[in-house]
Order: sequence, then C-alpha cells, then structure tokens
Amino acid sequence: MSPAAQPAKLKPPSPPKRSLIGWARELPDMVWHSVFRNPLPSNDVERSATSFTNFFLHIHPVKVHRNTLRPTYTFGLGLMSFFLFVILVVTGILLMFYYVPSTEQAYDRMLDLRGSVAFGTLLRNMHRWSAHGMVALVFLHMCRVFFTGSYKKPREFNWVLGVVLMLLTFGMSFTGYLLPWDQLAFWAITVGAAIAGYAPFIGNDVRFLLLGDANVGQEALLRFYVLHVAVLPAILTLLIAIHFWRIRKDGGLSRPPEPESEAPPLQMSAAAGAPVAVSVKAVQLEPRKTYGLQGLVRGPLTKVGNIPDNSVFSWPHLLMAELFTFVVTLSVILVLSLFFNAPLEEPVNVMHPPNPAKAPWYFLGLQEMVSYSAFWGGVGIPTLFVIGLMLIPYMDRSPKGVGVWFSRDRLLANTAFLTFVVVNVILVIIGTLFRGPNWAFVTPW
Amino acid sequence: MRLALAIGSLLILGVHGLVFYKQFFHDWERHQVSYFDQARGLAKTDAERNSVSGRSPRIEQFIVTSFGERRVDRCGTCHIAADDPRFEKYANPLKSHPYSAAMGDFQKNGKWERRHKFADFGCTICHDGQGRGLDPHYSHGEDHYWPDPLIGYTTQAGWRKEFLPKLKGKEYIEANCAQCHTEKEFAGAKWVERGRKLFFDTNCYGCHRVEGLSDGTLGPDLSESGHKFKLDYLWESVVDPRANSATSFMPKFKLSDDDVKALVIFLKSRRGKNFAEPDIQRFRDKLAQGAELVQTTVKPVDIVPAMAAKQGQELVDSRACLACHKLGEKDGAVAPDLTYEGLLKDEPWIYDHFKNPRASISDSIMPTFRFTDAEFKALTSYLAGLKSPPQLTSGEQTYKALCQRCHGEKGDGHGLIAVYLDPYPRDLTKAAFMNSKTEARLAGSIRNGVAGTSMPAWGKILDEQKAKEVLAYVQTTFVKEARRELKERKLPEKNPVAFSKESAARGEKTFVVRCGGCHGRKGDGKGPNSLDILPRPRNLRNSDFVASVSDKRLFDSILYGVQGTAMPPWIDYGMSQSEVGDLVNFIRSMNSKKQGNQYAKSN
Repeated sequence: MSPAAQPAKLKPPSPPKRSLIGWARELPDMVWHSVFRNPLPSNDVERSATSFTNFFLHIHPVKVHRNTLRPTYTFGLGLMSFFLFVILVVTGILLMFYYVPSTEQAYDRMLDLRGSVAFGTLLRNMHRWSAHGMVALVFLHMCRVFFTGSYKKPREFNWVLGVVLMLLTFGMSFTGYLLPWDQLAFWAITVGAAIAGYAPFIGNDVRFLLLGDANVGQEALLRFYVLHVAVLPAILTLLIAIHFWRIRKDGGLSRPPEPESEAPPLQMSAAAGAPVAVSVKAVQLEPRKTYGLQGLVRGPLTKVGNIPDNSVFSWPHLLMAELFTFVVTLSVILVLSLFFNAPLEEPVNVMHPPNPAKAPWYFLGLQEMVSYSAFWGGVGIPTLFVIGLMLIPYMDRSPKGVGVWFSRDRLLANTAFLTFVVVNVILVIIGTLFRGPNWAFVTPW
Repeated sequence: MRLALAIGSLLILGVHGLVFYKQFFHDWERHQVSYFDQARGLAKTDAERNSVSGRSPRIEQFIVTSFGERRVDRCGTCHIAADDPRFEKYANPLKSHPYSAAMGDFQKNGKWERRHKFADFGCTICHDGQGRGLDPHYSHGEDHYWPDPLIGYTTQAGWRKEFLPKLKGKEYIEANCAQCHTEKEFAGAKWVERGRKLFFDTNCYGCHRVEGLSDGTLGPDLSESGHKFKLDYLWESVVDPRANSATSFMPKFKLSDDDVKALVIFLKSRRGKNFAEPDIQRFRDKLAQGAELVQTTVKPVDIVPAMAAKQGQELVDSRACLACHKLGEKDGAVAPDLTYEGLLKDEPWIYDHFKNPRASISDSIMPTFRFTDAEFKALTSYLAGLKSPPQLTSGEQTYKALCQRCHGEKGDGHGLIAVYLDPYPRDLTKAAFMNSKTEARLAGSIRNGVAGTSMPAWGKILDEQKAKEVLAYVQTTFVKEARRELKERKLPEKNPVAFSKESAARGEKTFVVRCGGCHGRKGDGKGPNSLDILPRPRNLRNSDFVASVSDKRLFDSILYGVQGTAMPPWIDYGMSQSEVGDLVNFIRSMNSKKQGNQYAKSN
C-alpha cells in the first residue's frame, strides 16, 4: 500500500489527549505516520525524501532522466519481464498448495485444478501464459538493449547478467514444463533432455544428473520440481536484484549524449555537455585517513542538485510509468487467461510418443537445428551463441551510438544482431508450425 | 496516462468480476438447488423431507479404492438424483440411474437396492469419462485429449464422422463389465464374447497377441488395446487397416457392422490388466502362452477321416484363410494362390508348412495357427486334392493366370502380393539378368520352382513346351532384348577347396569384409546397404535355397556377378578361386541341412 492510495492529511501535531476516545481517534494517524514517515509529497524536497526513505521506493533514484521514461525507448520490456516474474511467483506459490510432485498424483492434481479447485483454472492459465510471456519478453528486452547500444561501457557486466538471467528464465520455464505430467510435458522434456545429452564427453552425465535416471520418470519430476520452486527462483531473485542494483550503479538507463546546445552546466564547466551521470574521479584514498561514506563513493552516479539537467522526479513520474506498465501487463495476462486455457493433454503414456514429439516452443529452434546435426544444433551452436552474447560488450568497444535505436554508427553490429534474431525466430517458427509427423515439412494451413 | 491507467484498472476489475462470478455460480450448484426444490415438493414422508431440508450445494464425490488405482468420481455433483428413484422420468442431469434386475438390482421391502452400489464402485469404472471434472465438457471426456470418454455415449470432435453413429450405444459398456466379469458366456457381456469368438474365427489370433489368449507376432500386440486406443481408432483399424499405418498388410475382412462392433467391444475390453485376474493367474497364463485358452475358445472340429477333405474345405472357408490367400475367385491379396495347390505341393510339404511355415520357406510371414493336428490333416488333404489344372493355350494366358499375381502386370516384380514375399519376385524386365542365364536355367526355375522361396514348381501344370511359351512371352513383352550367345565361363563343377573348418573360417573372414555390407554379417541378406538395393541381397541362411544351388552356380555368381542386380563380379576385385572356394564352404557351413526342393518336381 502506498501513501497515494490513502487521503493523507497533513495535521499539525497536537498535544496528546488523555481520554480513551481521543486516543482511539488518534490511533489511525499514529499508526499511519509510524509506517509512512513522509506525507504525500507536494514539493521537491518531500518528493526526494519519499523516494529516499521508503524501503520499496528506495530502489529508485530520486530523479530519473527524461529519456528513461520515453515509452518508445524501452517499451517497458524489462519491467514487464519483472512484473511477469512477480505474477509467476504469486500464482506459483498458490499452485504449490495443490501440487504433488509424484508421477501418480501430479496429473490428477491438474485435473483437480481444472475441475474443482477454486480459481484453479485461472491460476494455471495465468502461470502458464506469464511463463511463456516472460520468455518472449526477456528475449525482446535483450533485443532492445542491443539495438540501443545499451550494453556499452559502463554497462557491460549488466548485459552479461542479463544473458544469465535469460538462460535462467529458460531454465525456469523448462523445469516447469514437466510438472503437469501430461503427454505434452513428458515428451517435451524427453526431447529437451535428449538435446542436453548431445554434449560431447559430459552429455550423458549431464542428462543423468538432470533426470536422475536414464529416462524421464519420478526422479526427474522431483528434480525438476525442486529446481522449479526453490533453486532457480532463489538464484533468479538474487540476480534480478543485482541486475537492478547495477542499473543504479551504472548511472541509470542508457541514453544518448546531451546535445551541447542546451544550457551549459553552471558549476561543472569542465564537464560541459556531460550527461547527468558524471564520472567522478576517484580520489586517491589514503590508508590512514578516515573517510565519510561520501568519500568512498565513486562514479558514475547521478548528481542531484541544481544542475539544469534533463531529469524529473521519480515521484510521481517514474512511479506512474511503472504502475502503468504493471497494469498493462496484468490486464493482458488476465484477459489471455480468461480466454485461453493452459493445455492439458493425455496422461503420460511412456509407450506412446506423439508424432512429432516437440520441445517447448522456445527450444524448437534448437530442435530444428538438432534435426540437421545433433551435436552442432543441440550443443555446439547454442554454446557459441551464449558465449558470443556474453562477449558482445567486450568485443564491441566503440563508445558510439549509445541510447538511440538503430544508430547509424552501429550499422554492422545491429545488422549482425538482427540477422541472429531473425534466424532464431525463423527457426522457432519452422519448428513450431511447419514440422509434422517424423519432423517432415508440413504447412500449417 | 491517467485515463489509460483507469481503463487498465477497470479491465482488471472486470476480469476479476467475471472470474469470481464463474467461481461462485456454477452450473452444478443450479442443478443441486433445483434438485433440492423438487425433492422437497416430492417429499411425502418426514424422512424424505429431512433428507433434503437444510442442504446446500456442495461437491459430491465417491472415492473408490477397491478396483485398481484410486478413482475420485464427482459425477454425483451434477447427477445428484442418480440414486433417487423418484426422478426416474426426469431429464438429465437430474435423472435417476435406472434400476435393472439384469444388472443384479433387487427389491427389498418394496424399494430397489443396487447390486453395484455407487459408494463401492463409483461411476467411471463402468461408464468411463473423467470423474474429477465438474464441467461436462471435461468430465464427459469431450475434450479430445481425454483417453476414455463416456463409453457409448460421448464421442469426440476429432473422430471420423462416418463412424460416429456406430460408436454410440449401451452395448459398448459391456467392455467395462468384462473388466470384472471375465468368465466366458457371462450373460451381461454378450458382445465381448461375440468379439472374442470373432477374434478366433477370423484368425485374428494368428497375427495378434492378446495376453492370455494368443501369441501372434506379425501384427501389433493388442493386450492393452482397450487402454491405449479409443473406440474410433479401433473401429477404423478393423475396417480400414491402412488408415493409420500405410505399411500394414492386415487384410480387409468382410465383416458386418455388428461384427465390427463386437470386435471393437472385445478389443476395448482388453485393458492389459483387469480387476478379476490375480497377478499370479496372469503370470500362469503368460507361461502357458494362452494355449489352453485358445483351445477352449475355438471349439475344434471333430474330423471324420472319411470326410476330411470336405471338412478341410469348410475350415478354409470359415477360418478366414482366404482373407490372405487366393482360391478360385476369392482373393485376399496377401498370400500365394492355392487354386492349384495339389499340383504344386504334396501332402507332407503342406502339412509341414502348416506346422511350421518357415520350415521350407524361411522368410514366410504365414503365422502358425493353433489348429488341432486332425484339423491340419484335414486342411492338408483338402489342399492336396486341388488338382484340376487350368486350361492354358498361350504363353500370355499362362503368364496372366499363374505369374502375374507376383511378378506383376508389367513384369517388373511388383505384383499384387509382391510386398509380402521375401525374397521379392524377380524383376523380369531386367534384360541384363534375364539374358545372362541360360534358357534351360530359366525354364528349370519355372518347372522346378526356386527352393526356399515362394516360387512354386509349375512342372505339373506346364510341360516343357508350355514353359518355353511363357518364357517366350516374357522375353518379347518384358525383356524386350534378344538373347545373345553366352560366353563359356571357366568354372569348376565342384568346389576345388575341400570342406574343412579352417576353410570355412577363412571364408567367414572374407565374407565379413567383402560381403557383409549387403548380405549382412550373419549372411541373412540384411546388411546395412540391403535396404537400398532391389532385388534385395540373397538370404544365404535360407537353407533350402542354398542346398538347391550347385557349387558351380555359386562360383558363377560370386566370380562373375549377377547381372541386373547389385552383385558385382568379384573376379574384377582380384578374388581368387581358392578364396571363392573358402566362401562357398562358409556359406555351406551355415546351411548344413537337408537337400532342398519345392516338391512336385516335373515327372
């Protein structure tokens, strides 16, 4: 609950009353003010203080650059991914109350969720569509970051973190895919795990470690469950926190350099035309001297003050944008969940694979490549992709073209990446729609 | 921005409203409320009034643990009047389940009592469907992912339209009765029994295995067909075997709709494990391979020696032999023509072939049927008596009457039944092959047959003259190239390398290196390259064939190759006479068996 939701009144502190009725009348205000130190802000100081003192708002800078709030710059993709994660955690925890990771019960529990558990269908649908949405949005978010050149110095490491987060998202989605224990789940995981088995030397061991058995069975179900509800979410939460932390520490979202023509800063003439985030030169720290906290702060960081910059207060601008993104995300997921039911196919039949047995859609590009070459399609190329993705910020060292979509300075990089994206999307589309029995080419119409 | 936010928030609220509405106003609640109201109206005694007063809608369920895995049946949530006899005339879902004396229900103090109490049995054990669901679409199994829709009542959207009317009806439920009532002649499962009879009468058991009943290996195992397949699929597979498997060679049987229905119900009742058989009994049946069960199901015919041939003919007609074979006008289009069997084979051959079809034709697909010995003898005497030769006046007529069914209209070996024969019939259009063999050899193949293959010895039907006429017809119509003078090849009459273990071992080494690619390491003709080759590499473990071939011919084929096939002349690869001698010894060592023949040799 934020203060905005309540009609907060600013009352001058009154002398304490003795009567019980007086105490009772003051109680709500006392509680309110003990929880929220600040009134609903009406001036800049209060706006700063609100952001600064509230635990939940503290993650925001007090002021953000206007570019950060430009909808067509980020499209809110990263934030949407995060909100989907939040939705997934909430619905996931509720689903956990009903789920049993046992091959004998899992499918029956799905039937119960669909049939007789209150809101069971909605929960399952929301969880399913949010999971698919998160995979898609995380990928789109990565594309946005690339095409705006946002991975460049000083944000290299955050890009690497982002790649790891994307892999973890795949991992979450993949492990969750098995849990309904229907034909779709069973054979998708069988295919997916087989792809892991194509790795040289360690492939079979990795596969065994993942499944806990030679085939997908009770052991695999339990492992995937633990990974899905405990291990991966914990890692993901931690890394998301670091991802956000690094945004702040790397000077906020990327943006184009300030045009020089605008009013020059008054004091920092040396850094004329510099962005708001100014790299403050690190002072040579002397081991014997005692420093205050500020003395240890090193750039880049956002300067707040009377610098005539392009920034606005987070409260209310950033918060409204975030709220809006959240509302949009939640509405879309709710509407999807209302109209489309999460699939639940036949109970697992180990003797009867569907033809074709397909991995989850985001791995169908891999499966398509596997159909040409097991090792290169399933292991070689994907590994090269991931390593390549992680190395991008260290290979592309030109500082130009940051903060603009499809900058002309980055023609080569953008073309190369666009090719990568298009090839992946095409492979996924082929694998999803154009592959029929025996992985033969079919047309979906 | 604020407007958009307001709209978004309203949308979220709206969706929540809808979801809550759906959650708290179920159809089943309305059914229950309506039941309570009407039951109150119908109540005549205090007890009846009390039973409904103060009841509010709730999920009703039966949890059944006595039969196999745990079942949770919530059908009674909508069908709340199922056990209330006053609702006999009402429409579903508020209709009482009929009481039936045939089902064992009985009257006690003027009230019906059920033999199969819902609390003990639940619902899905008889009716199928998905007991856990509360939405009719899912609980009745209309969702096409659900393996067992309400049997005989609910059909799924993906099922073949022309079958739909045939897949509805009370009789289908008997498949589930048979889960517990496994005794034969059980009055409540007549359709299952009829299907079981058909399974044997139409010789399904020859190809299919059903645990405890039969052990055929040619077709798919049907022990769990009721568990694996839906009615629609079963019906389709019986009437149109190739609909799901393009390579199926199951014949299309001529069955009435009721016969198909009986078979489908019988197959639906095969669920792998039923509730009535204890595990130990299943294990016993498995050990006995169901032999006794077959004998008790198919009543053996008492064969009277004097009537044997006639009874044999009746067996051929009644046991679906002609679903595969041809005899006179009837043609199953799978197996060889039996019309002139008495002229092609003699009694011992036919009898042996019944007892073990692969004894004389090593790659025959004919199943070993479980007839009694007397029945086999009757069949044999009938077939051996088929001795009226066809009237054939020209080579063309002969080819069309006797050869075409295998060798094909175009002489290319792709005849009507060619795909079921191994080895594949000879492609007569390959001039290179046809012209590299002497006329005497070809005529010999026609008149004496080719041992170990489906090529019969036509000698008793075709004399020298007629065989030559057919050959001439083949030569002009299919080969289309004039014969040339064949060069004399330098070949030993007898293998010059004496047979010894060492020689065979040397031969095996050569064989694995040189021949294994096509003929396979075991010499069974199934090497890695064999699938790309037509005609397929010869199965060198076909003892009857190998025994019928002279050393000279083996030397010829190995040293000079077989023209028109993939067999190369090994003399070009520097293979010496002694190496070939070792190879021949190796091949012979794999087939140390009797002299092969096709019987019915000319004169």
